[in-house]
This record gives sequence, structure tokens and C-alpha cells, in this order.
Amino acid sequence: MTTSRRCVLLTAIACACAATTEPAIAHPHVWVTMKSEIVYAPDGSVKAVRHAWQFDDLFSAFATQGLDATKKGEFTRQELAPLAQVNVDSLKEFDYFTFATADGKKVPFVEPVGYYLNYDPKQTVLTLHFTLPFKDPVIAKDLRIDVYDQTWFVDFGFAKNTPVTLVGAPAACKLSVVRPAQMDSTMMLRLNQLPADAQVDPSMFLGNQFANKIGVKCP
Amino acid sequence: MTPVFTGRRTIAITAFVLVAVAITLLAMMTEHASAQGSPFGGPRPGPSTLPASGIAGWILAKQSEFYRQFSGLIRAAKSDGSAALSLMGLSFLYGIFHAAGPGHGKAVISSYLVANGETWRRGVALSFASALLQAIVAVALVGIAAALLNLTASRMNTAVNAIESVSYALIVAVGLRLMWVKGRAFVVALRCAREPASEVGAAVTHRCDHHHHHDDYHAHSHAADRRCEGAHSHHSHECDHASAWGHAHAPEPKELAGPGGWRRGLSAIVAVGLRPCSGAILVLVFALAQGLFWVGVGSAFMMGLGTFLTVAAIATIAVGASTWAKHIATARSGFGMLAMRGVEVAAASLITGFGVLLLGGYVASERMIGF
Repeated sequence: MTTSRRCVLLTAIACACAATTEPAIAHPHVWVTMKSEIVYAPDGSVKAVRHAWQFDDLFSAFATQGLDATKKGEFTRQELAPLAQVNVDSLKEFDYFTFATADGKKVPFVEPVGYYLNYDPKQTVLTLHFTLPFKDPVIAKDLRIDVYDQTWFVDFGFAKNTPVTLVGAPAACKLSVVRPAQMDSTMMLRLNQLPADAQVDPSMFLGNQFANKIGVKCP
Repeated sequence: MTPVFTGRRTIAITAFVLVAVAITLLAMMTEHASAQGSPFGGPRPGPSTLPASGIAGWILAKQSEFYRQFSGLIRAAKSDGSAALSLMGLSFLYGIFHAAGPGHGKAVISSYLVANGETWRRGVALSFASALLQAIVAVALVGIAAALLNLTASRMNTAVNAIESVSYALIVAVGLRLMWVKGRAFVVALRCAREPASEVGAAVTHRCDHHHHHDDYHAHSHAADRRCEGAHSHHSHECDHASAWGHAHAPEPKELAGPGGWRRGLSAIVAVGLRPCSGAILVLVFALAQGLFWVGVGSAFMMGLGTFLTVAAIATIAVGASTWAKHIATARSGFGMLAMRGVEVAAASLITGFGVLLLGGYVASERMIGF
């Protein structure tokens, strides 16, 4: 074997070793089924987004582990208050996974208000309620709100029935809801078309194209 | 064998080690920029990059598919024994896919095996022991913290984080140790590669020419000793460790199952196996909440079994490739030897670099959700 061929071989092995250390994300560890409300002011501007996020039972069991409860297997809103606080505090870093644009321009939120956790003892699941006010009331012909976690640590999905409601919106406003493409079909197809060594830009398949999209169009 | 280093050599080694670390860190940092907290509380950082290939995406999809069925099966297991069986099967599959996905375990084990010139059988043994340890730690953690002490999720996270830091520090330690040993071997190979013309003296020739023998690397010590008998004292050191193929602890395949053999890999086993898998912890806590802790325990061990299979397969490939390369490199000393030494040092640097990044929170094998 020539020196150059040997060199190629060794380089290949070095690359193989490097490839195995490529850190990547894990599968989601939290699933959220969400219902959202878009809250309007009397003047027709949008004040806030009100979320109700129901967590999956595995995560709910973990989150409530060891919490004091007066009645076993049930948790009151008060008993869950410290947990709700931690939830809301730590969501800040992730922009509450909620991203809004008004007529194509990004509109910021301020810190959430009116947050609390509910526990459903029958389904053994937690639901986090919180209201995310816009920094300034938003008046837009085309309001879009995307909810997603681009690291896919949290898997967000709209509830089956009436996932989004407009509260106090002008009658002419029209709501549209788009669910994300399914990981197992569309996304896999996209992924499989990529060369094996491609560096994938997250937005290619897990970015806002795969977000839960809320759109409100007002004339 | 305690080599007496000349000043120049020490400098050369130090420089090499520094360069190797710098390259490794740079390569990793550019891809994985910032540390992040965990969305619903808890301190775990998470990488914001995604797997690089379609296969990785598919593996992730499969994992979540399995994972999503765990809670339903655990509930059903209360009244239906076959649900428990399904859960075990699914946990096993989950383990296989989970280990094939992200995670530092297989990377560290593979690099360790390559750096240390270990055998295939040792690779399988290390994979098994670390997967088993991982399951035991998960069961022990949830058993003690949740079942016995009824600690909250946030306390459990603290425990996991502490365990994790120890595990990452151990990875760094294992990597550094290997880098030291391999770096020395590399320097010797470097000298040998350019030696015949540039240096004079029989002792020098001895130092390098027995490289032809390392195919059978336990014979070397005897052969080398004989060859070097006449050498000057400081040359004979070099003979010693050049001939040892740079093994961290001069492995003898026959000793594999012996106590020495196990102790040798123990640091790597603990470094990799100490950090329990978040999925296993969640399943165990859920099973506990449902009053079926034993079902969770079974699931955790089945996950471990699956993990073992995947890691062992990857380790086998790594060892196979490296053995093949060594075989080729052995055909001629000089450059081939140097390149092999280089690969070993690179593998050792990878372990170190990976450990440093994990420890620093730049990458996370798995984010722990917490409160």
C-alpha cells in the first residue's frame, strides 16, 4: 500500500471517530397539547396570547414527583404554584416558544401574567396556563403567531378541537390554524433526500415551517 | 517504565498536546455555539444543533414513537400482563435506537478503544458493563430518591447533575491520561520516522526497528528488551515504550477477563455508564406513580440491553477499522507508524475535548427536564 493510500485510510478513520462524537439532540422529552386564545381590546387591537399547555403524562408524573398534596394523587392550584413559577421563569430564555409577526414585522411580548398550573387527576396530566401580553397593542392586517421549539426538546401540537379562539376580535377577522407537518412522513422524506454528510440547518426541517401556525387576517 | 525526558522532548509533547486540544475544541465549538437552560426549569444545557443525516432523523422519529407508547403500556400493565411484555420489548427497541442516536457514550467508548488499541472482545465487554451500570444508576436513583425519600423532581435533577459532572470529569481524566501516554508514543514514532538518516548510532536504530514486531504485541517486550540490551540507558526507555504500542497499560489479551483487565477499563465504564438516561428516569418515575415500580425497573434494564447492542456494534466497527489500519501500517514502519500514533492521539484528544465540552455545558448528551 502506498503512503498516500494509507494516509487516506487513516484520515477516514479519524473522520469516523470524529463523526461519532457529533453531538445531536435527543428525541422530545416533553409533549405539549395546546389551546390558545388571541385576546383583543375593545379598540380592535390585539392585547395578548393566552396559552393552555397540557403536558404528557410521563412528564407530568416527573414534574409532580415528591410534591406535597393534601389529597393523594391530586394537586391544587396553590400546591402547584411554586412549580408554575419555575415553569414561567425558565420559559423566558426560550421566548415562551411563541413568535409573533404583524404584517411581516416581529412583535415582542413582555413577561407573562396570570399563570397557574392545573392537575387533572383522571388523566394524571398538568396544564400550564399563562397569558403573554404584547409589549404594545398590535393592530395588523396579517397577524401570525408560531409556536415551536426548534431544538425539538418539547414537541408542541394543537389540541384536536378548537385549538385557537379569537376573544373579542372584530367580526371581519378571519382565523387560520396550520398544524405542523408530521415528523414521520414529510420530514423524513426531506431528510432522506439529503446527502448523508450534510449539515442540516435546523430551520430546514424543524424550524418554523414545522411550527404550529396561527394566522389572523383582518381587512 | 518511567522515561527520562529531555527538555526538547517535553516541549515537543506539550506543544503537541496543546495543539491537539485546541483543534478539537475549535472544531467542536464552531458547531455548537451556546449553552442553554431547560425550558420548564432545571439547569441542563441543550445543544441547538440537529442530527446531520436522514438516518439520524429517522432514528429520532422512531425513538419518540416508542417513547410515546410507554405510559399507555405501563397503565395497561396494571391489569394486563401482556402489556408488561410489550413494554419490555419496546424498551429494548428504544434502547437500540436511543444509543444509535445522540449521546456521548458510544463516542467515548469507541475513541477509547481506538486510542488504546483494544480488542473487539474488550469493546463488547466495555459496552455491556457501561450499559448495565447506566441502568443500575437510573434504578438506584429513582428507587432511593423518589421511592424511598420521596424527593421532588428538582432534587432529583440536582442529583443527576452532580452524577453527570462526575461522569464528565472522568471522561476528561480518561482522555488526558490517554493523551499523555499516546503523546509520548507519538513523539517516539516521530523520531523514528525521520531517524535513520539524521541520527547516528546503533542504539538509535534499535529503538525503531523492532516496530516490525508489533503485530503480536505481547511478544514485543521480550523482543524489545533483548534488542535494546546494549543501548544506553535513556535509549532503552524509548525502546520500552515504543515497543509497547503506546498502550496505556500494555494489555495482554489473555488477561481480558482477569481482574487486571477489568480494572483497566473501569474508568471508561464508569465515565460512560454513570450518567443515567433521562428517558429511563422518566419511565421509572411514571411507573412509580402508577404503583408499578418493578415494571419500570424491567423497562430500564431492557433499555440498557438495547443500548449495549448498539454501542457494542459501533465499538466493533471502530476496533475493526483501527485493527485493519494498524495491520497496514505495520507493513512498514516510519510514516505508517507515525500515522497510527497520530490517530491514537487524535482519538485520545477527542475524548478529552468531548469531556471538556460536556463539562462546560457546551454540549449535552441529553437535556434533563426539571424544576
